[in-house]
Amino acid sequence: MKKLINVLSTAAFGSAVALSLSVSTAHAQEWPTKEVRLVVPYAPGGTTDVLSRRVADLLKDELNANVVVENRPGAGSTVATGRLARGGRDADHTILMASPGHTIGAAIYPSLAYDPVEDFLFIQNMLDIPNVMVVPANSPYESAVEFIEAAQDNNMSFSSSGVGSSIHMSGELFKTLTGSNMTHVPFAGSGAALPALLGGDVDVSFENMPTVFSHIQSGDLRALAVTSEERSEFLPDVPTLKEIGEHNLDQLVTTAWFGLIAHNSFPEEAFATMQEALQQVMEREEFTNFVEQLGGEKGTIGGDEFKTFVADEVARWDAVAAEAGLRQE
Amino acid sequence: MENINEVLQLFLATENFIAIAVGVLVGVVVGSIPGLTATMAVALALPFTFSMEPVAAILLLVGIYKGGMYGGSITAILIRTPGSPASACTLLDGYPMAQQGKAKKALQMALYSSVIADFISNIALIFFAAYLAKIALNFGAPEFFWLICFSLTIIISLASGSMIKGLIAALLGILLSLVGLDSVFGSQRLTFGNYNLMDSISFIPLLIGLFAIPEIIEFYRKKIVPHIRAKASGAGVSLAEMKRSLTSIVRGSLIGVIIGAIPGTGATAAAFISYSDAKRRSPHSERFGKGEVEGVAASEAGNNGVAGATLIPLLSLGIPGDVITAIILGAFMVHGLTPGPILFQENLPLIYALFLGIMLSSVILLFVGSAAIRYFSLIADIPKSILFPIVLMFCVYGSYAVNNDTFDVWLMLAFGVMGYLFNRTGIPAAPFLIGFILGPMFEDNLRRSLLIGSNDLSIFVRGPITWFFIALTVGSILLALYRFISARHKAKQAANEPEANA
Amino acid sequence: MTSSHSTGSPLIKDLWDVVAGVVLLGFSLLLLFYLIPNYIGQPPIVQNPMMSPRWLPTIVGWLLAVFSVLMVVQGMLVADDSEASERRFERGPWMRFALMALALVVYVGLFEMLGAIISGVLATLILFIAHPVRTLWVYLLAVAFPVSVSLLFTEVMNVPLPMLPF
Repeated sequence: MKKLINVLSTAAFGSAVALSLSVSTAHAQEWPTKEVRLVVPYAPGGTTDVLSRRVADLLKDELNANVVVENRPGAGSTVATGRLARGGRDADHTILMASPGHTIGAAIYPSLAYDPVEDFLFIQNMLDIPNVMVVPANSPYESAVEFIEAAQDNNMSFSSSGVGSSIHMSGELFKTLTGSNMTHVPFAGSGAALPALLGGDVDVSFENMPTVFSHIQSGDLRALAVTSEERSEFLPDVPTLKEIGEHNLDQLVTTAWFGLIAHNSFPEEAFATMQEALQQVMEREEFTNFVEQLGGEKGTIGGDEFKTFVADEVARWDAVAAEAGLRQE
Repeated sequence: MENINEVLQLFLATENFIAIAVGVLVGVVVGSIPGLTATMAVALALPFTFSMEPVAAILLLVGIYKGGMYGGSITAILIRTPGSPASACTLLDGYPMAQQGKAKKALQMALYSSVIADFISNIALIFFAAYLAKIALNFGAPEFFWLICFSLTIIISLASGSMIKGLIAALLGILLSLVGLDSVFGSQRLTFGNYNLMDSISFIPLLIGLFAIPEIIEFYRKKIVPHIRAKASGAGVSLAEMKRSLTSIVRGSLIGVIIGAIPGTGATAAAFISYSDAKRRSPHSERFGKGEVEGVAASEAGNNGVAGATLIPLLSLGIPGDVITAIILGAFMVHGLTPGPILFQENLPLIYALFLGIMLSSVILLFVGSAAIRYFSLIADIPKSILFPIVLMFCVYGSYAVNNDTFDVWLMLAFGVMGYLFNRTGIPAAPFLIGFILGPMFEDNLRRSLLIGSNDLSIFVRGPITWFFIALTVGSILLALYRFISARHKAKQAANEPEANA
Repeated sequence: MTSSHSTGSPLIKDLWDVVAGVVLLGFSLLLLFYLIPNYIGQPPIVQNPMMSPRWLPTIVGWLLAVFSVLMVVQGMLVADDSEASERRFERGPWMRFALMALALVVYVGLFEMLGAIISGVLATLILFIAHPVRTLWVYLLAVAFPVSVSLLFTEVMNVPLPMLPF
């Protein structure tokens, strides 16, 4: 045991020395003056986590500083976000990978101690992933319209990765817009939800593209529509809900977005450095391949545009949460 | 022929062998430190795999997973602190064995049974993946519900001593597991507005607090007993013991394989199911919980049986059964591969190369584990007065590490005090743990079934799998009742006899 | 043998069980009539009682109440003998226990304020004194371990322990 601890502690000291060296070489520039923390408001595994680790790995080279990923799961993403909102002494070196949970969380829990828009600086949206409306292979419905017409008479069930996920809220939005009868069946994560969908226990889901893409390819699931603004290049034959248009579907455009945000007190100069570094990261081949693998698209907006987008999202989900009776006091 | 060449080319790369060896080693070390879990190690290793070849990348992560699954048992046996949740069951017999100076025997049994289970699990992965994946797909919420009901009946066999106390423990466990956000409505349950409780009570602080802390408190409450320099190393596992435990190991491995193939149940439950099964079948079940080597074998077989099998839904369906496989899924994605049926069609050589590597990892686990035992068993030689303060420090740091929050340190110590009170009143901790793990699964699958079936109760008896688990549940309860009554009967007879003689 | 430790009134065979049973009964009633109605929100419309967030907690509460009554009864009628050896032991000096409690308080109260290293060193020293450990070089471990383990956590495992107060 002692030997082992010795070995480990020498390793620890070694890396501590290496770390301090890397900090001192980076000293020429003003920011960052120490390691940058990238907070993932979810447990390890899952799109947000893997994306964050990919970005952190590439960001390291661009910033010439260590970028450490820290998972802080809890209550959607609100625990980690609430903590970031409180600032603290490391707030000038902390960034957070926000996703739809950021806006949905604010809609479901209006009593949050922070403002999802005003308390943060919005650096750069990194990735957009469409949701796909999928039904099991043996489902009788061949199109979204057929499904809606059936759902107006019968009760349908839709699965999600949990209450307040973008998958759940897309379903609720679909339900209110089209006036369908749908029961939400929550699961503990997309992994747990998938067997129920493949096995035909639930009728439909609005799953994230990467979760279902290979099952659509293999024919185990049928894609009826995608929720993005334009057709996905990975499923070119699948229409968007927007282009279907009937039953108010033209209003249903939603994507799962993943972007980096920071506390309001994040220094201006750091903000500029980060934006520049992220642009470089997004141009890297590794990042491009990764985005393609997820069936998504690179994010295009940053700064004020990104902020406006988030504010609109908050307002939209707020309405959906109120309509669906999801708002918690 | 061409395929075999390709497989060997992919497999026989130095990088692969290094990856497996490093992975298993890191897994064993990290898994053995309380609070540092294999999950954390896998998450930290993920970025390193970005620049590696896909096969080596996946093998590194799988190696950590397997090493961690075994590593947790080391500290569970030596200091009553499960290094990872899945090894909580191992300490029930492992720690008493260490106290009796049989630390080496317990550690070896844990290793051998882990390796055997791992091997069986790998075989299942390689040869029966397609078949087991079908079972996983037929396992909907109602089937799950009955599986959980059956698993809950193991509380009866785990409650040694008083049945009433065992059931009270389980109920308290279920109650605490319900703290947090409601899974259907999102409303808060017993969180008292504390945001730390919204994501439910963290498992690791609970585990450390419940088992390690009471031992420390008791040590400082008891009168000082001079440290006996036990020959910590002691004797290893004898051939007779191995033979005796082999059926339990094989049965435990198969239980692990089935639980592992069904996404979402987890290694901890598998270990307890395997343990209680071995206890029920044993001719001397009263020795379980007091240092029975077969108990260590059964629980380690249960949790390591899961390790290979969780890769079944991952590889054949693209469904991660737990957090670690979710991260491994991420590693596949980063390398431009998507697990699922398509992977088997397009990248078969890669799959076979992976399989070879996974088989090799069992062998490496045997070597790394043997080396680890040699050094770790020295812990048993350290006087408790020096060991326990250091254990406490690991407990505190480890609890903090779960969520990077002091709240979990408080939680850990609160559970420590609760565990101490449990010991004083004879309420067993194991059923509490089972209740805590299975409580949410019970409720979620019950409600999910009702939602899917639109409140039609016939969904609960919809197919052969449901009937199978209903039969198991009922049988398990009847068996327990029968044993209870016959034990009563015998006790009465025993009490009457001396009177009759007089 | 069995009755040797059943002190107090002969009506109660196992005092611990009775006390624990009464405490648990009190807790289950508190749960049923105060905690569940006040701290578990209920959505306005629930199609099936089993769907309610309050359903399982209520069932658990009632079962807990029943079993704690049974535990009280058991404590009155049945003396425990099987676990006697594990549950009863000779107590050490109270100072030892108090110092251990102090060490726990140091961790709970000062972990965030003083950081992992200082609170770790402090608590470990207190526990060494509590035993008491007489070998002097062992006290060096009380410094060496918190420092090296904190470094292991922060530098190798990326856990942001609060290291030092400054």
